[in-house]
Amino acid sequence: MRILLGGLILAGGIWAQPVVAPTPEPAGSARGDNAGPYNITNSFEIGYRFKDVDGNTGKYRSDVNFGNGIRLLSGTMGVHTRDGKGKFFDELLLDLRGLGNDPYQFSSFRMQKNSLYRYDMMWRENEYFNPALTISGGQHLLSTSRKLQDHDLVLLPQSKLKFRMGYSRNSQGGPGLWTGQWFDGRGDEYSYFANVRREQNEYRVGGDLDIGRVKLTVMRGWEFFKDDTNFGRNTPTPGANTSDRNTLSSLRRDEPMHGSTPYWRAHLHSQLSRQFSVHGRFTHSSGRRDFLFDEFASGTDRLGAARNRQILVSGTGTRPVTTGHFTVSLQPDQKWSFANQTGYHQARMEGNGRYGELNNGTVGLELVSFEHLGIRNVSNTSDASWQPLKQAGVFGSFHVSERRIRSNQLEDIAPIRAGAPIEQTNRNKAGIFGVRLQPTGPLRILFSAEVGRNDKPFYPTSDKDYTAYVGRVSYRTKKYQLSSDFRTFNNTNSTSLFVHSSEGRTWAGAGTWSPRTNVQFDAGYSYQHLNTLTGLAYFADFNLVESSKSYYLTNLHTIHAGGQVQIRKRADVYAGFVRTQDRADGRRTPDAGSRANVVSDPSTIALLTGAQVFPVSFQSPLARVSVVIRNNLRWNFGWQYYDYREKFLSFQDYSAHTGYVSLSYSF
Amino acid sequence: MGLRIILGLSFGAATAIWAQAPPAKDSSPFAGSNSCRPCHPAQALQFYRNPHFKSTVAANLPPEDTGCEGCHGAGKKHIAAGGGKATIGRAFSLLEPAQVLDTCLRCHSKDVNRTNIRRSSHTQANVVCTSCHSVHTPQSPKALLAKKQPDTCYGCHNEVRAQFAQPFKHRVNEGFMSCSDCHNPHGGNSAVSKTGHRPRMIEAGLQNEQPCMKCHTDKRGPFLFEHAATRVDGCEICHSPHGSMNTRLLKRPVVFTVCLECHNGAGSFGRQSDGVPTQSASHNMADPRYRNCTTCHVRIHGSNSDRTFLR
Repeated sequence: MRILLGGLILAGGIWAQPVVAPTPEPAGSARGDNAGPYNITNSFEIGYRFKDVDGNTGKYRSDVNFGNGIRLLSGTMGVHTRDGKGKFFDELLLDLRGLGNDPYQFSSFRMQKNSLYRYDMMWRENEYFNPALTISGGQHLLSTSRKLQDHDLVLLPQSKLKFRMGYSRNSQGGPGLWTGQWFDGRGDEYSYFANVRREQNEYRVGGDLDIGRVKLTVMRGWEFFKDDTNFGRNTPTPGANTSDRNTLSSLRRDEPMHGSTPYWRAHLHSQLSRQFSVHGRFTHSSGRRDFLFDEFASGTDRLGAARNRQILVSGTGTRPVTTGHFTVSLQPDQKWSFANQTGYHQARMEGNGRYGELNNGTVGLELVSFEHLGIRNVSNTSDASWQPLKQAGVFGSFHVSERRIRSNQLEDIAPIRAGAPIEQTNRNKAGIFGVRLQPTGPLRILFSAEVGRNDKPFYPTSDKDYTAYVGRVSYRTKKYQLSSDFRTFNNTNSTSLFVHSSEGRTWAGAGTWSPRTNVQFDAGYSYQHLNTLTGLAYFADFNLVESSKSYYLTNLHTIHAGGQVQIRKRADVYAGFVRTQDRADGRRTPDAGSRANVVSDPSTIALLTGAQVFPVSFQSPLARVSVVIRNNLRWNFGWQYYDYREKFLSFQDYSAHTGYVSLSYSF
Repeated sequence: MGLRIILGLSFGAATAIWAQAPPAKDSSPFAGSNSCRPCHPAQALQFYRNPHFKSTVAANLPPEDTGCEGCHGAGKKHIAAGGGKATIGRAFSLLEPAQVLDTCLRCHSKDVNRTNIRRSSHTQANVVCTSCHSVHTPQSPKALLAKKQPDTCYGCHNEVRAQFAQPFKHRVNEGFMSCSDCHNPHGGNSAVSKTGHRPRMIEAGLQNEQPCMKCHTDKRGPFLFEHAATRVDGCEICHSPHGSMNTRLLKRPVVFTVCLECHNGAGSFGRQSDGVPTQSASHNMADPRYRNCTTCHVRIHGSNSDRTFLR
C-alpha cells in the first residue's frame, strides 16, 4: 500500500539557490511503501558533475571547488511506524548530500524508539583548498580534508530520568605549505612543506532529571586533542629574496602537541509557574596541553657564514575556564515580559616553557618562559518587553559588564624571577530600545537602537563609544513576500593622540512573488558600506612613521534574482543570477585613491593607497531544467557559471563553467 | 481511482491506530485526537511521522498534553460548533506571538538550548515558534522547520544572505554547515567575548568560547603564548565570519593593515596597558617583503614556542 505524502516533501520555493545542484524539485509526489508496521519513503538524486575552469584554478578551488565525477547529489529516507510501537525502532531518518567526492559532503542519521532511545549522527567532510595567495593572507597553502562527526544517544528520552552519551570527532589532514625565516630576522623567507595531522575526540556522558517543576541536566565530558603535523625540507631551494646570501639547505621540524580538556556542565531550570521561571547554568573545563618543538636547520646566514641550528622547546599550557549564568524570567501577563541574566566568565591561561638553542654545536640561547593571561567578565542584562496593543509594542534592555584582564609575561634564564602582573579593568554600559509595529496582519515593522560605552577598550579597533540602529519591515502574504532591513553601526575609539572610527551601513531588500502556483519569482538587493579610519605607526627605511592613517572603504553591492516556471507539470525551468561587487570608491588603479589625502605622510601614500580599497566582482548566473519522465522519476540538467574579477590585479581572476546532469527518483 | 483507494485504505489504517488513544471522559472538554480526523485528514494521515505523535503513543499523558489537543486545546466545543477557528482553544493563526510562545514552552521550556528564549532577540522582535517552524508541513523532519536552513533565516536576514554570496564564506549555502552550528535561534547566554550586548544569539563552544572553535580546534589552544586578540575580543577582531571579499575571511584586503591598525603603540591599549607594540625598526614597510606579516608570524593565533608567533 502506498500513501501519498504530498505535503511532506514540497518544492522548497526558490529562496536561496546559490549552488545549482542538488535539484530542489521532488521527483513527483513523494510516496511511501509499507513494509510490516513501517512506512518507508525514499528519494535520491544521482548525477554527474562537470567543470571547466579558465584562469586561476587555485582561486576557483578556494571559492567553489566543485569537480568532475559521479555524485549522490542528495538522498533522503524516512522509515516510520504507523502505530508508534515498532519492535526495534519507530523512526529512522537519513539525509545525504554530495556523497562521492563533492567537496562538501553531509549526512545525518536519526534512529529512535519511542520512550526507549534516540540516536543522532551527523557526518561532514570538507575538502578545503586555500591557494598560496601572495596578497591578503600570506603565502600559506592548505589542501586538507576536514572530517566532522557527532554521535548522540539519549536513553529513556521521554522519561523523567534520561541518560545521555555522545562522541564527537574532528580531524584534519593533508598537505600544506608554510613559510618562515631562519638564522636571522633580516634574512630570507622560505617555504616548507607540512603534513597536517590534527585530531580531536570528545566523549561525554550525562543525564536529565525532571522532578516536578525542576529539571537538572548534568554533562561530564572529556576532550582529547593532538596535532602531530610534521614539517620538512631536505633539498636546498632559493628563498623569496634572491639578492641575499642567506640559504636554507635542510630543515626538519617535529612539533607534537597533545592535550585534553575535561569538563563539567550543569544546568538547572525551574518553571515555578507560567509566569515565573529561573535557570542557572554552570560550566567548568580545565584544558591542558603538553608540547614539544624540535627543529634542526642548516644553511648560511645573511653574511654567508655556514650555520646549523637546533631548537628544542618543551612545556605546558593550561586554560581552566569557569562560567556561570543565572536568569530570572517573569511574565505577569501577556503584555509584559521581564528577564534578568547575570553572567560570569573566567578564563585563566597559564603556561611555561623551556627554550634551548644550539648554534653550530654550541649553546646559543637558553630561556625559560612563563605566561599568564586571565580574563574575568561579570555581566548583568535586564530585558523588558511591553505589548499594550496587538499593533504595537516596545522593548528595552540594559547591559552592564566589568571585565578584568590580568597579564604576566616573563622570559629569563632559569631560575625565573618573580614578576608582578599587570591588571586592567574595563566597564561597559549599553542600552537598547526598540519598537515593533504590526499595523495590519501581513505588515510588520521593527526598529531598535543601541548605545554603548566602554571606558577602556582593549584594542585600538575595539568597540568604545558605539551606536547601532536596526530596522526591519516585512510584508508577507501567500502571493507576495517582501522584506527590507537596514543596519548601521558607528564606533569611535579614541585617546588623546589616536583615533579609530568606523561607520558601517547595511541596507537590504528582497521579495518573492508567486502569481500562480506554477510560477515564482524572487529578487533582492543588498548594499553594505564600511569605512574605517585608524592611526598607524610603522617603520619605513628605519624611520618611524607615526602620522599615517589606514583608511579602508568598501561599498559592496549584491543582487540576486531568480525565476521558476513549471510547464504543464512536465518540466520545471529555473534561471537565476547572483552578483556581488565591491565598487569601493570607484577607482580603477591602486594609486588613484580619492581619499589619499587622509594619509598625511607623502612617503607612505604608495604603501597605503593600495590597501584602502579592494574593488572586485564575483558573479554567478545559473539555470536548471528538470523534466518529469515518469511520475516518480525526473531528469535534471543544470549549469552554473562563476566569474571572479579584481580591478587592480588580474592574476587571481578566473571564470568557470560548472554543471551537472542527473536522475532523481522517489517513492 | 487507485489514488482514492490508497487514500481510503490509509485513512482506515490511521483510524485504527488513532483509536488506541485514550478515550476522553464525557465530562471532559477534550474529545481525543481521533475526533479530529474526519475534518482534518491531511494532518491526520501524516501525523505518525511527526515528533509530536509520541504524545499520542505514550498513553500516559493527560489529555491536555496529548495529540492534537496537546497543542490546540480542548476540542469538544469546536466539534459541537461544526468547526471554526474561534471555537478551538488555540488556533495558531489567531494567537498573539506571546501566546504562541507560551503554548510551545509548556513542553519545550526545559530544554537547555531554549532557556534564553524569553530574552532572545527573536522574541523581542515578535519572531516566535511559528515564524520558523511548521508542525504539519515541515521541510525538515527533525526540527520541523517551515523551510530548510538557511532559507528560514534568509527570509528575514537579507544582509546575511548577501554575505554568504561572497567568494570567501563558510559553506552554508553548499549544505556543509548550517546557521545553527554557530547561532542559537532560541537565544544565547550573555556574551563571552567583547563586553557589550552583542552578539546575543550565539551558540557557545565547549569552553563557553566563540563557536568558531567548535570546528577550528587548532586555533583553540591553550597556547603558552596566546595572541590576546583572539581571547579578549574574539575572532571577529580580525575576521568576518559569514563571508568576505577578502581571503581567509579577513576584514581587510591586505594583512598588514589588519595587524598595524592595532599594533600602533597608541594609547593605553593592549595586554600591558601601554599600547599594542609597534613592530621593530627592522620591519621596513617600504619593502613589500615585510607587508605579509604572517609570512614570518605563522602562528598568529597562538604559539607554544615563540612569543612573537614565529614558529
